[in-house]
Amino acid sequence: MKLTSTSKRIEITERSGIKMISLQHVSKSFGKRKILQDINLEVEKGEIIGFLGPNGAGKTTLIRLMNGVIKPDSGKIFIDGLDLMENSEAIRKRVGIVTESAGLYHEMSGYENLEFFADIYGVCDKKRIEELLFLFGLQEHQKQQTGTYSTGMKKRLALAKALLHKPDLLFLDEPTNGLDPDGIKMVLSYLGEYQKQTGTTIFICSHVLHQLESICTSFAFLETGRIIEKGTIEQLTEKYTKEAKVEIKTNLEVKSGSFAGFPCEQQSENCIIFTLPSKKYISGLLQEVLKNHWVETVALLNTDLESIYFQVRSCFDES
Amino acid sequence: MNRNVIKALIVKDLRTIRRSKSLLTVLIIIPIIFSFVIPTAAIAGIRFFDVEGSMGSDAEKLIAKFLAEVTVSSVSLETFKQQMIYISINYLFTSLFLLVPIVTASVTAANSFVGEKERRTLESLLFAPISIKELFVAKILASFLPSYFISLASFILSGISINILSYPLFDKLIFPTGNWLVLIACLSPMILLSTILLNVFISSRVKTYQEAQNIGGMIVLPVIAMVVGQVSGLFLIGMKIMLLLSLALLIINLFMLKKIAKSHDRHVLFEKQIH
Repeated sequence: MKLTSTSKRIEITERSGIKMISLQHVSKSFGKRKILQDINLEVEKGEIIGFLGPNGAGKTTLIRLMNGVIKPDSGKIFIDGLDLMENSEAIRKRVGIVTESAGLYHEMSGYENLEFFADIYGVCDKKRIEELLFLFGLQEHQKQQTGTYSTGMKKRLALAKALLHKPDLLFLDEPTNGLDPDGIKMVLSYLGEYQKQTGTTIFICSHVLHQLESICTSFAFLETGRIIEKGTIEQLTEKYTKEAKVEIKTNLEVKSGSFAGFPCEQQSENCIIFTLPSKKYISGLLQEVLKNHWVETVALLNTDLESIYFQVRSCFDES
Repeated sequence: MNRNVIKALIVKDLRTIRRSKSLLTVLIIIPIIFSFVIPTAAIAGIRFFDVEGSMGSDAEKLIAKFLAEVTVSSVSLETFKQQMIYISINYLFTSLFLLVPIVTASVTAANSFVGEKERRTLESLLFAPISIKELFVAKILASFLPSYFISLASFILSGISINILSYPLFDKLIFPTGNWLVLIACLSPMILLSTILLNVFISSRVKTYQEAQNIGGMIVLPVIAMVVGQVSGLFLIGMKIMLLLSLALLIINLFMLKKIAKSHDRHVLFEKQIH
């Protein structure tokens, strides 16, 4: 059995290089409802990939498939070169997951929950529990029953639970749901830091786009069970941003609808939005404005993840 | 199989039982009623009231049937009170006692299987590196161990009450008899296991703890039929029948275990249980 796994792993490695996740033509239906269709995706080791899509797009189903708890109707899934169907037990030991429901025992304290999952995942060093409780600011509440925790505390404890065994791959399904702004900031900054220190591959599913922009190294967009686009933010910007919308806070006043040859619109007093053919025209425009006026701030409006996301979706809808 | 995983799951389930007031109440009150309150009240009633007069010919029929079928040489059964108490202890209370393992196992098993699903924690277990075999073994043991412990404690409680109340009539300790030993050593564990396995079946088909308990509760019907049958004098369930019943349950249990092992894999369990 071990020999088979190893030889399979070598075969995959030789064929395509070791990817942490490799999905090949994966499809899944529940009854007549098609949830995922012909999904192909490769995730490099050490990547933080943001998997984005509206509710019901199939994000959670995909996470379940990649954890081997449900079977694909067709296609192959490889985790770190191992065929998931043949090595699901071994893979599960190397994977951590935070589900939407957190999956905690409410009648048990925070410490007891972590202690239980440490036993399940074979974590012998109990110092790891203390370490994670401290890291997620739960030390003071460790003896409190988790049923009395706030949503944010439960999420943080679920994250601690997922990190107990120092997984090579971490799946996070809507990790920031229910967190307050402080909690979101804390969790995301910790995840970024953790990834830098450990090189863990992180797969984040979310529909809250702006939160992921700062930590993800690449993105994939899921729409009605299909991956409609994927790439780094730079690649996506390049592909989908045909023009740059720039908001400039300045005392310049424009009445003719253009300035220095660029179309623009006076939004309010001291605020103008310019439409440029690309980002490289910003410097020239600013030089022109600064000749006779002051400039307070300059902001690019349509190159954030949210704008790209809607652009990708509208292209998909049109096609 | 990973023993540490199984141990962790059992300890966790026992902790859940210990911390749930409603579960604990059922697990304490029901055994006390069936193993202590009813036997104590019945024996005291026979000893201190004129049962012969109030029961009339019904009691006579029961005793006549009993004496015709059973030979008892170890104790003297000369008086009506001795005969009534002896029959009650060995036939009526034994059937009644079976409700203790059934009720306790129904409660612990429903909590263990459906409870996990209701609390949305089954998902965490299925995502974890636990084999389905380990999960089922742990869950069955986590239901069996506390239920059997409660049955043993109830057995001891029954014994104390029966011996204290009947000693003045018999001048010796009449508990435990062969019937009771077979009951606690063979029939109770088998019926416990049947109840638990039936709950495993039910839990994969129902959505709530309440539903599981309602359907699982049907297992008490044959036991109630046994009690009624014995009280009415229709039949007497002695040691031999109890051994045969244990054997039949053992076969049913093995069949159910085989069926469960075949029909439950992680994917099926997940798709049926997690929504």
